[in-house]
Amino acid sequence: MSEFEAYRGLFVAESRENHETIVKSLLVLEQGIDEGAIDEIFRAVHTLKGASASMGFEETERLCHSMEDVLSLIRAHTLDVSPPLVDLLLACTDVIEEMIDGIESGGNGHHGDTGHLVDMLRLWVDRGSGNRSVVSNAVSASAPAPPDPEPPSGDPGDPGDRPVYRVRVRVSEESAMADVRAMLVLTNLDALGTVLTTTPSRQAIDEGAFERDLEVEIASDAGEEALRIAASGTEIAAVTVSPVHRGTDDSLGAAPSSCPPGVREEEDRRTRERDREKGREIKNIRVDIHQLDHIMNLVEDLVINRGRLKQIAELHRIKEMDEAISVVERSVSELQNLMMLIRMIPLNQIFNRFPRVVRDVAKHDGKEVEFVIEGGETELDRSVMDGLSDPLLHLIRNGINHGIELPEVRERAGKRRVGMLRLSAHRDRDNVVIELSDDGAGIDIERVRKKAVERGLATSEAASLLTDEEVLAFLFQPGFSTAEKITDISGRGVGLDVVKSSIEALKGSVKVSSVPGQGTRFELILPPTMAIIQVMIVRINTRRIAIPINSVIEVASLTADAIHRIGSNEAILLRDEVLPIYRLDEMFGPPTKGDIILVVQYEDRKCGLPLDLVEGQQEVVVKPLNRLIGSSRGVSGVTILGDGDVVPVVDVNTMV
Amino acid sequence: MIWCPMGRILIVDDTLFMRTLLKNILFSGGHTIVGEAADGEEGIAKYKELKPDLVTMDVVMPKMNGIESLKGIRQFDPNAKVVMCTAVGQEQMVKLAIKTGARGYIVKPFQAPKVLEEVKNVLAS
Repeated sequence: MSEFEAYRGLFVAESRENHETIVKSLLVLEQGIDEGAIDEIFRAVHTLKGASASMGFEETERLCHSMEDVLSLIRAHTLDVSPPLVDLLLACTDVIEEMIDGIESGGNGHHGDTGHLVDMLRLWVDRGSGNRSVVSNAVSASAPAPPDPEPPSGDPGDPGDRPVYRVRVRVSEESAMADVRAMLVLTNLDALGTVLTTTPSRQAIDEGAFERDLEVEIASDAGEEALRIAASGTEIAAVTVSPVHRGTDDSLGAAPSSCPPGVREEEDRRTRERDREKGREIKNIRVDIHQLDHIMNLVEDLVINRGRLKQIAELHRIKEMDEAISVVERSVSELQNLMMLIRMIPLNQIFNRFPRVVRDVAKHDGKEVEFVIEGGETELDRSVMDGLSDPLLHLIRNGINHGIELPEVRERAGKRRVGMLRLSAHRDRDNVVIELSDDGAGIDIERVRKKAVERGLATSEAASLLTDEEVLAFLFQPGFSTAEKITDISGRGVGLDVVKSSIEALKGSVKVSSVPGQGTRFELILPPTMAIIQVMIVRINTRRIAIPINSVIEVASLTADAIHRIGSNEAILLRDEVLPIYRLDEMFGPPTKGDIILVVQYEDRKCGLPLDLVEGQQEVVVKPLNRLIGSSRGVSGVTILGDGDVVPVVDVNTMV
Repeated sequence: MIWCPMGRILIVDDTLFMRTLLKNILFSGGHTIVGEAADGEEGIAKYKELKPDLVTMDVVMPKMNGIESLKGIRQFDPNAKVVMCTAVGQEQMVKLAIKTGARGYIVKPFQAPKVLEEVKNVLAS
């Protein structure tokens, strides 16, 4: 098995895919018999079995094999698909997933539940086959209809005038399918002459009644040597060819020309194995994710130092160095792009797990849900993807728990019994947008408004003036839940506030909209990557600050008398728009001139930041703040500029 | 064998895992892998395009299974050398394949020496 170690990663990756296919198709099958889904499952289980056998993961193979037995009965329509059967098959997939996990971490796929599950599957097989012994037939039931039967083969053919030979073939003991081997020998001999008799008969061989020895009488002009070659081959232990003198059956007297497997072959095998070690060529490799992160860090350092070199070259005006740096620069940006690409993963990696969750939650709640996934091929950086799974899972559970109504309730409201949950993703300019919408009851905005007042988040007058969108934003406040009871699958205090903060930690944002009676829609907007961003470098009170370029709207000049006071707040009028002013004095001290205003936006809210100087635009690597400092509101991280200056990167989301 | 030819081989299998495994085995035996196909239809198309000396053909595949693909290839080239890749339990399918014109078979889990031997023998035939 050790020689297969190199394939372990590939096995795991592909088995995971197959596992997902099985789960997905089982869920389809549960909705009603679907030939396509059965074929899909069958194929995936079969592939998984084959791969496990190749790797020597016997338990996985055994479980898949038992699953195949049951599936073939379903395919042959001798066993009906019922919820308990689907439950059992899903339980098998759970075990398979755990096996794959185990294999990934170096195990051999051992799992304590295999025996139990295999027994359960066997019970179903017994039930399905009943008195009819269809198990073996069912497997071939899928095969296309056999071609027209050949003429019965035991019958003597017409020898004509050609000499007749008796060919004796012994199939080697290690042959897994001796009967098939015999059949190949017969086919090869057919090409050289007319086969007169075979023992056992062709029909018997076809039915599998074959041990190891085949005897054929053939009329042929090809000669002894040609017949011998035609009959020998892989897994053929010995061949003897002798002329048959018609009438005088003295086959025993003829000197047999045989080709027993020799010592040479053993030698051949060894050489081949040696060559194989040398010649192994692997196109795909799996890389430890931490190593990838480390490479990414090094690339980031390169990006920083590239900037630094550039500054030095500019300072000293060395032409050769300029040239050399521009070459390095090109390589570095290519390397950076490549690293970004390597880290991009299709969203399906996490989306594919959701159908199963939807099924379980819906079943638990007694709801009927149709789950649609779109745009799973959209790619995201791994670092973003990692943090996305849990919040999405939470939203999906929420959608079923609180969004989609019970079938009876839906019917009374004149809707389809089956609720619709749609998860879709697409690229929108530089961002990836993920939408989750349901056609459930929607959010009762008045209830949220009332609750917000109860919680003291707003006075009743203020609350009554808020727009629907502003009211819905309360849902993302910590501890805010309109659900009456905590269900055992979702809820439990972990609310939308956690979703919001996890998405914001990924530099993304969440929006919710809802139409009572028609459903709720969550929209997550995410950056495709969070490691390297474009920033604008500005100065306030001689200090440099970096502001992510995607939140900058414009830069305008500012005169002191343009600033109006509204209560304790300041604002300016910019092209008929009232723009609140936010000062970063606490962090950086008051601006010396403050005659420039930078307009930033987060979602639909804008504000202006007075500052002294705009230095320029640059691509920087954002490093998270050290654990010693802890997270600091308003600052998402720091970046090191080419000249070694450490500059804070302002987090506009928390500021506006 | 007196003459041991190295072949230009097309691999038809729906899983990357099996294709990679086979590719490495065949490569180690000195053969050239001229192409890979992931289903039966693609197998026929690639055969027409590449005219390989030999095809290894998986039996169970999506879209078009190995036997249908074998038929398609034999229709295009009656002398095509196709070796079926099969697993224990699929004897009936393999027999059908042989009646349809397959020239040999290899059994999963693959054993490199056996695979190479079968390929060598079929190439020489």
